[in-house]
Amino acid sequence: MSPYNLLPRFKAQYDANNQEFSMSGVVRPQAIDELGPSLALLRDAIGRVRGVLYINVRRLTQMNNAAFHAFSRVIIDACRAIPDLKFVVITSSVVGWTSRKFGRLNGIEPNITVEEYDSKFYPGQGFLEEGGFVPILRTQTKMTWRHERTILPRHGMRPGIAMADICCGIGDFAVLVQKEFQPSRIVALDHSISSLDYARRVMREFDIRGIEYTYGDASEMLLDEAQFDLVTCRHSLQIFNRPELILKELYRICKPGGRVYITNEKNSHCLGEPRAESIRWTYNEVAKLFAHFEMDVELGPKSRRYLIEAGFEDIRVETFMVTNMDGDPQDFADVIVAWADVYAGDMATRRGDGPEFVARFRQGFQDHIFAALHPKGYAGWPIWVASGRRPQ
Amino acid sequence: MLMGSVRNEPAGEPTFEPMIQIDMEIKTFVSAWKHCDYVSTYMAWMISQNRSDSVRHSNLFSSAFNELLEVAFRTRHADGELACRVSRHGATDRIELTIPCVPEERQFYQEAVSQVAGVEAKERYLNSVSGDLAPSREIVLLELAVDYNATLRVEEAESDAIKLVVDLPLEGLQH
Repeated sequence: MSPYNLLPRFKAQYDANNQEFSMSGVVRPQAIDELGPSLALLRDAIGRVRGVLYINVRRLTQMNNAAFHAFSRVIIDACRAIPDLKFVVITSSVVGWTSRKFGRLNGIEPNITVEEYDSKFYPGQGFLEEGGFVPILRTQTKMTWRHERTILPRHGMRPGIAMADICCGIGDFAVLVQKEFQPSRIVALDHSISSLDYARRVMREFDIRGIEYTYGDASEMLLDEAQFDLVTCRHSLQIFNRPELILKELYRICKPGGRVYITNEKNSHCLGEPRAESIRWTYNEVAKLFAHFEMDVELGPKSRRYLIEAGFEDIRVETFMVTNMDGDPQDFADVIVAWADVYAGDMATRRGDGPEFVARFRQGFQDHIFAALHPKGYAGWPIWVASGRRPQ
Repeated sequence: MLMGSVRNEPAGEPTFEPMIQIDMEIKTFVSAWKHCDYVSTYMAWMISQNRSDSVRHSNLFSSAFNELLEVAFRTRHADGELACRVSRHGATDRIELTIPCVPEERQFYQEAVSQVAGVEAKERYLNSVSGDLAPSREIVLLELAVDYNATLRVEEAESDAIKLVVDLPLEGLQH
């Protein structure tokens, strides 16, 4: 039997374009001979590159000491033989042991450094996950839930299913789903430690059970394949610079025949009366501002294309409009105040916008609030819902 | 009886609540290397469900536990039973691995565990990584202390066996 039959989940490959040697899966050999082809590939890669070789272990979920030693020895030997060559080991903070273990190599050879990949992948998330935004996220979920609770069953939600909420943020959607639909299992994953801390605190305080909050990178999850009947990912593809990578993962963890449900916005379609023109101008600028930070808050109507290209079938798309007439208009106004603070505050400053632009930009938000609170006014925030079925 | 203790437990050692135990004939266990992977993955999954981050905890626990099982796999004792027991106190999970062993192996475990406590533990570990030899069982135990903040001790078990007790404070390991 080939040694590789014993290690079906392990894969090593070399990408010459990126000078990157990647390892993924589980590698726990009994004897080093089992790693022969992979070690040969690494040696070959070392012989071909100039300057730097990236060692990508982001998806290396397990590696025993025997394998770690074997690969490390090849790298350490290369450092000694080729002093000009540098090695950058790309780890993921999600796989807890990798940064610690590979990080030790820098103490042996300074030419080996370790970089955690995840933080670079989320260029804009920092704007949205700071603590002050939590009350607004809760209010947003309250407003969208009024619509989604009736929409979700058309997209595969039903009692007793196993579901995952990816990019769960502060976890309030998972809690609402659990109360309303009683799935048998909910895994809620996010990359923000502060948001997960908040979600777990709420779970403890309210004695909520059955939700597994987990830290993870949505583009490379540790979750096993094909285990969920429904995978939700709300308002998140639009703030990643590579949404197709997330969709690929959502597809992977969804069971064949199960569905992936996504919601996204088209910010330039936020509207209001009176003062429609000013509102329209500002929200067009919101879309441009996010684009500057590699986020596409116009993604909503593109959902169908993204789902088709990711391999889904039976695509269903619908829209709903959150308005000032849903519940308390002050809730709507509070959300706009928070948007204005972040968009016309931190984000505009970081883009380098001048005071004249910022004043006009802010005015549109003020006018949207005015429309929301006006006794005869109407203010809206449109959301696109889409889902697709993973083929059997 | 406590032997080769790395750290002297205070008189009022906290109570660890049992969570799961798997016993196997050592002959069965050593019949296939993949048993180490299967047992560590299964037990990690079972005991991590109620941790604050079950997926991450399970990954770390499996990683550490697999190394212990690989150490046990190399036993030279042909008979007896391997017992893997996991218990918990707060943020710490305790693995108690009862391994059949011959007298020389008992001595090896006692010495290996006492060396884990040495101040130069990290340095010795680094030397081993850059050395030519594949990691010895002693280095594998050392790595648990260096990378997982584990504390280890050896206890006498019933005839021809030792019990390796490893405390893993994985909840406290930083991202």
